[in-house]
Amino acid sequence: MGDLGKIHQLIIPFFGHDITLNLEVILMTWIVFAILFALGFLTVRKKGLYPKAMQMFGEFYVGQFYGLTEDALDRKMAKTYGPLICALFMFLVLSNWLGILPHLEEPTKDLNTPLSLGIMGFFIAHYAGIRSKGFKAYVSEYFQPMFFMMPLNVIGELAKIVSISFRLFGNIMGGSIIILVVSHLTYSFVLPPILNAFFGLFVGTIQAFVFTMLTVVYISVQVK
Amino acid sequence: MDTDVQTIIRGAAFLGAAMSMGLGAVGAAIGEGYTAAQANDAVSRKPEASGDILKNMLVGQAVAESAAIFALVIAILLLFLDVPVHNVLEGAALLAAGLCMGAGAVGSGIGSGFPGGQACQGISRQPSVMSRLTTNMLIGSAVCQTPAIFSMVVALMLIFMDFGSLPVGPTWAALIGAGLSTGLAAIGSGYGGGLAAGASCEGISRQPETVGNVTTVMLVGQAVAQTPSIFGLLVSFVLIFKAFPASSMLHAAIALLSAGLCMGFGGIGPGIGNGKAAEGAVRWVARNVAFSGDLMRIMLVGQAVSQSTAIYAMVVALVLIFVV
Repeated sequence: MGDLGKIHQLIIPFFGHDITLNLEVILMTWIVFAILFALGFLTVRKKGLYPKAMQMFGEFYVGQFYGLTEDALDRKMAKTYGPLICALFMFLVLSNWLGILPHLEEPTKDLNTPLSLGIMGFFIAHYAGIRSKGFKAYVSEYFQPMFFMMPLNVIGELAKIVSISFRLFGNIMGGSIIILVVSHLTYSFVLPPILNAFFGLFVGTIQAFVFTMLTVVYISVQVK
Repeated sequence: MDTDVQTIIRGAAFLGAAMSMGLGAVGAAIGEGYTAAQANDAVSRKPEASGDILKNMLVGQAVAESAAIFALVIAILLLFLDVPVHNVLEGAALLAAGLCMGAGAVGSGIGSGFPGGQACQGISRQPSVMSRLTTNMLIGSAVCQTPAIFSMVVALMLIFMDFGSLPVGPTWAALIGAGLSTGLAAIGSGYGGGLAAGASCEGISRQPETVGNVTTVMLVGQAVAQTPSIFGLLVSFVLIFKAFPASSMLHAAIALLSAGLCMGFGGIGPGIGNGKAAEGAVRWVARNVAFSGDLMRIMLVGQAVSQSTAIYAMVVALVLIFVV
């Protein structure tokens, strides 16, 4: 139980700074990439007017998420941001499911993954806001309703990064800590598979969806 | 000396167990009672669906019960686990774990009663959409449990992590503050998430074809309602993982304890308020699905404003930790 919260790290000295690499997280992320590439390859391998099972799946998935993006933004913006949203959900849901396989761990269990995705979403949302409203209107929004509210508005925007990334991280890491402790206490008898199904499959899917939808609505709040 | 430390630690563990289960029993019982009351109402309206309603009520109550089961697990751990005796810090950690889990189970327990009750009402209104209602109820009440899960994570970390090498000086206060921060902040978020989930079950029973939009808006609203408890979790992590320099002065310790209290109490209101905003949005998305995009955007803007008080609490808590 002592290894609660321990991480295998590779530390590279680089001109006086230490670069820390979390080896397991990188490896697990690459595994997710490999699965995604394989899925993408299988989906487009045999394209046809009468779709096969994999093509059906791909078209259905992309259609669903384009629809969700269109609901929140509009048709034109959905063309731009739809691919991002589809890719984000696929990556997150596979990452969250990875932990149910033995010896594999969720990349999202490490704060770095959700945090970098959250920062990415933040910058994309603000870029979209500046592009659609113009820089002047974008900046003047920070001085609403009164000019002295500016620092708090900025903190409020930055807090969005904290909340979106910690929500995913807390759920996935919390699930894995609970599974670890319960497996230890019950000598891995009966309960762990049920907990894995709940935290890995169910909570993992919901949290991946929530992260994706929040990224969409952050963009839509900035744009409109 | 050794026996004194051991006595203190055992005593703290017992106190923590009592706090965990005592407080943890509050919320789930209220939530389950609400579900049962709504089920009775529903059966009296549509007696021929009483079997379905009873089944749905029991499933909903089982999910609401899980918050109390988390508290029971922590209480049993505190009662029977042999903790390594290093110094008095272990005692502070065990007491904090009990407080965290007990307070954290209150909101989720009450909150996950709402979707159960509204789903029972919905079945009496539209027996044909029972499976959709039950699925939506399960998703909604599982997301309601997230604040309780955060509390359980912090409680387990407080129980199992080794604080032996840290100075007793201000660290005891940091650990108790960490427990209070997540535990108290989870109350509002759990309750608020339940309001949104209840409104979504009601909405689906009125307009079954809007289920996709309603579930999406519910999930986004619940996620934002959880933000105060996430701020609480953040403050707890800072308090647990930051190594504070040894100091025998009391004010340094009180500052850390107050940081946890500030974030904890500061999170209750925004959690409930955000839940109310989400409840309103979800209810009206079901009635007027053509404007779901606008409704969601207004919900988010309103939630962001009501969230600002939680952000003030977080700023003050971080100032108490890093500056004072």
